[in-house]
Amino acid sequence: MNAATIRFDGATVRYSGANRNAVENVSYDVRGGELLVLLGPSGCGKSTLLRTVNRLVPLASGRVEIDGSDVNGLDAVALRREIGYVIQAVGLFANMTVAQNVGVVPSLLGWKRDEIAARVDELLHLVGLDPATYRARKPSALSGGEAQRIGVARAIAGRPRALLMDEPFGAVDVVVRTALQRELVRIVSELHTTTLFVTHDVEEAFRLADRIVVMRDGRIEQSGEPFELFDNPATPYVRQLVHAGDDVYRRYFARGRELLRSS
Amino acid sequence: MSERAISRGGALALLAAAPLVAGCAFDPNAIRVGSKNFTESFVIAEIYAQALEGAGMHVQRLFNLGSTQIAIAAMERGNVDLYPEYTGTALIDVLHLPPIGNSREAYDVVSKQFAQRYRIVWLTPSPMNDSQALATTRAAAARYGIATISECARAAPQLRLATIQEFLARPDGLPGLQRFYGGFHFQEVRTYDIALKYRALLEGKADVASAFSTDGAIATDDLVLLRDDRHFWSAYNVAPIVRAATLAKRPHVARVLNAVSPKITDAAARAMNAAVEKDQADPADVAAEFLRR
Amino acid sequence: MPDFTAHIVQHLALAFAALALALAAGLPLGLLAAESPALRSAVLATAGVGRTLPSLAVLMLLLPFLGVGVTPAIVALALLAIPPIVIGVDLGIRGVPVAALDAAAGMGMTRVQRFARVVVPFALPVSFAGLRTATTETIASATLATFIGAGGLGDEIVRGLQTDDPSLLFAGAAAVAALALGADAILGFAGRYAGGRA
Repeated sequence: MNAATIRFDGATVRYSGANRNAVENVSYDVRGGELLVLLGPSGCGKSTLLRTVNRLVPLASGRVEIDGSDVNGLDAVALRREIGYVIQAVGLFANMTVAQNVGVVPSLLGWKRDEIAARVDELLHLVGLDPATYRARKPSALSGGEAQRIGVARAIAGRPRALLMDEPFGAVDVVVRTALQRELVRIVSELHTTTLFVTHDVEEAFRLADRIVVMRDGRIEQSGEPFELFDNPATPYVRQLVHAGDDVYRRYFARGRELLRSS
Repeated sequence: MSERAISRGGALALLAAAPLVAGCAFDPNAIRVGSKNFTESFVIAEIYAQALEGAGMHVQRLFNLGSTQIAIAAMERGNVDLYPEYTGTALIDVLHLPPIGNSREAYDVVSKQFAQRYRIVWLTPSPMNDSQALATTRAAAARYGIATISECARAAPQLRLATIQEFLARPDGLPGLQRFYGGFHFQEVRTYDIALKYRALLEGKADVASAFSTDGAIATDDLVLLRDDRHFWSAYNVAPIVRAATLAKRPHVARVLNAVSPKITDAAARAMNAAVEKDQADPADVAAEFLRR
Repeated sequence: MPDFTAHIVQHLALAFAALALALAAGLPLGLLAAESPALRSAVLATAGVGRTLPSLAVLMLLLPFLGVGVTPAIVALALLAIPPIVIGVDLGIRGVPVAALDAAAGMGMTRVQRFARVVVPFALPVSFAGLRTATTETIASATLATFIGAGGLGDEIVRGLQTDDPSLLFAGAAAVAALALGADAILGFAGRYAGGRA
């Protein structure tokens, strides 16, 4: 699997009828294989920025590049089949079984049946679900946490170059969310897939991120490693954001992730 | 005879007649005139009612009684004093006797029987004979060379019949024709709403239609009636039938109605039926127009 | 009663022909309504009015244009069946979860693939319900075909009325009811089978 690099170069997005740009002149280089968290309140442009990568949102000006190619010059459908996409509501297809859901992208890519079947089992294992139990289940028979795991499995089934995740764990309860976050970190570090993860939850950001990009009103407030933001917030806003809540608690979790990555 | 369903015009006419009924509701001296539930019955009953009013009597209209059975029952109970009835209907549906083709003979039988059994008197009958019939267009009559029922019976395999369900079931309908004349195995038989039956003829979707001789459409659509050469169908002359008790108290009634009844001919009946059904005229207006002439 | 069987066959033939016509017209109209907000109000308003029109009125309104016979009967019945089909298809398509469509787009399905793999399976149960309504209504309304010479079980009912034969009247009416209920049951079964995959 390629760990794609993603580059935002002066990316600007405007929704029709809005009085300001949803994304304002954002430039940033995402490193191959990193888990980058886009952090900010609702309306800050983080989801919009995410969706410029797979062209679900068009740019008003600027560029987005993946592995050096302008995404606008690529075929949108082919591009999307190489980028994993996970959303909060999951969007599993209720008329298909779990196996069929997970196998959608491989089948769109033209894989052979047995290849797809093998991949489905592999992925179910990877997200911590027993294939024999879950393969033939319907989405209506899944819990919130199980559904989201399937969502992740579905997103990485086609061996994508990058993974886009839009507040994927927002709709599950806290206990399940913690487990999923841990799983995600494990999966992403195993697969080395470049991951863009959108959230408004500061704890989640600190738990998952290699680097964090703090956004506000369509612009980048600050970016850097979690510790960096914590120790040296660049603006009052960032300071207020990262220092809200228990310092020690936050420090501990950020530290915990560093330890996990280095082991 | 003619148990037709209420035409749209008849229904409208009935609504128009309602105020008249309400107006005379409680007059003990009123003559109560009834009718059955089809256009021709409304019109003739109106003629009787207006003739009596013209002679200075109070009339209460109790129209739309329903079927023959209901009308007779109303007479027997004394709820209605008179209404227009057909000799054929009385013969077949009330007395359960076989049909009689000769008008005079049919009248004599029913008037004698009704006087004896029901104490109902048959006044002077009208010439109009609303019997069953088969109708066709002039073009179809020419094309298939049919002018009589016998010829139609033989030509039936080339012909398409448009009719109503009742005609296929009643003994003087298609089954009776088949037994009496032989033949009559039509190429196609389709049933319609009574108001739409002739459209099939006019649209070229049928060649022959069952009919009543005084249907308005026969005049307005220029249709031809096939001659009943072997006299299968009974006579159906209409006459006012009155409770004997009523006549005893008001013999005047007989004089008035006997003067009017002989004037109702086939042609007059067709014209009046057409006016109500095609032109949506009020039966009361049509009757008034008739009496004026 | 050989007539009775023939009438049952006629009745069903009329209903099926009308439903086929109604589907051919109603499916595209429903799709159109779901896709285009501007057209939706116009289409749904017309369908709403269409649902309230008495069947007999529609039949009579068509008389001056189509005359009597089997064709006008089928057209009238089809016109009556179109509204529930259109409403069902529109409702079905608009009921497809937005998340599923978003995920489908994001994972690289083309418009056609999204329609076939996501929209259709989600829209099918509700659309099917519209077809079921249309079917029972059409079978019931087909009794009116007797008025314009198109046959069917209306013949039995009218004969029962005109000859004062309650048992025939009941037989005709019961047959219509049985056909309608039977068709509804079959469609319900089919719907559950198809929807079982949804």
